[in-house]
Amino acid sequence: MFLKVQLPWNVIIPADSLDSEGLMLQRQIVIRLLNEFAVKKATKDHGYFLAVTTLESIGEGRVRQQTGDVLFPVVFSGITFKIFTGEILEGVVVKVLKHGVFLKCGPINNLYLSNLKMPDYNYFPGENPFFMNDKMSKIEKDVTIRFIVIGTKWMEAEREVQALVSLDGDYLGPVP
Amino acid sequence: MSQTIGANAFREEEENAAELKIGDEFLKAKCLMNCEVAILLEHRCEQLRHVSEDAMNQVPQVFEKSLQYVKRFSRFSNQEAVKQVREVLSRYGLTEFELSVLGNFCPENAAEAIAAVPTLKTKGRGLDEETIQKLLDELAMIKKFQL
Repeated sequence: MFLKVQLPWNVIIPADSLDSEGLMLQRQIVIRLLNEFAVKKATKDHGYFLAVTTLESIGEGRVRQQTGDVLFPVVFSGITFKIFTGEILEGVVVKVLKHGVFLKCGPINNLYLSNLKMPDYNYFPGENPFFMNDKMSKIEKDVTIRFIVIGTKWMEAEREVQALVSLDGDYLGPVP
Repeated sequence: MSQTIGANAFREEEENAAELKIGDEFLKAKCLMNCEVAILLEHRCEQLRHVSEDAMNQVPQVFEKSLQYVKRFSRFSNQEAVKQVREVLSRYGLTEFELSVLGNFCPENAAEAIAAVPTLKTKGRGLDEETIQKLLDELAMIKKFQL
């Protein structure tokens, strides 16, 4: 689910960039915020960071004693992407293996659908392997699948989310 | 003593979107439909192109992948239609989350809508199948007549 969130952030302006004032300073703060936002990529609580939409406020700068930098507390609005257990979503198959398939959904590449969670689907090996049920519904690379999220995991080191998904439920499976 | 990995290694869930248990801050956060995000991200691309021709080559992967995704999974393409969709859905007393899921899938019938958003029926809010179908018909109209 894409979310519009309002978040606090601390932007640090190094001492040697502090000779600008007013609008120039504001511009500096915005540029740094956008860069840090892009580098951060994702957090456990808010999911993936997509874009900053508005800068709501810039607080009073506080000098950091050790370094002489100035810290500006800002509040901004932005778009994030986060998935929830129990959420129903659509994604695209990227890889088919004997025990299940990998899907991508939004910025997330690592959604795993185990064959145990694909009721009545059987594996067909080959150069372009796929799963199929007896109603001729096919799950192969590039197919769109509607699924339910059964678990999520935040990977601190890679700053990424992984998820386990399932087709157990009505209207879940390949979407024509 | 072996530990079963797999589902157990994933976070134990009090979280459950099927019951709208997704945390207070997310229930209150504004949810965006794919089509709304597409408009916002396209707008950002426009701004970047004004900065430099090369700017699009430098956008983060998260942005790039999300843009691809929302373009592929948007049911409504123009701003006016998107506005109407939100207006229509807002009249039915849905939460932001429920509204966005319905706007993303545009279910054809009440059964499909309830499968995608189980809380429609579990909360006893006067959303019987007839009302849900009426909502879906309104969405279908907008989709049919969007430019």
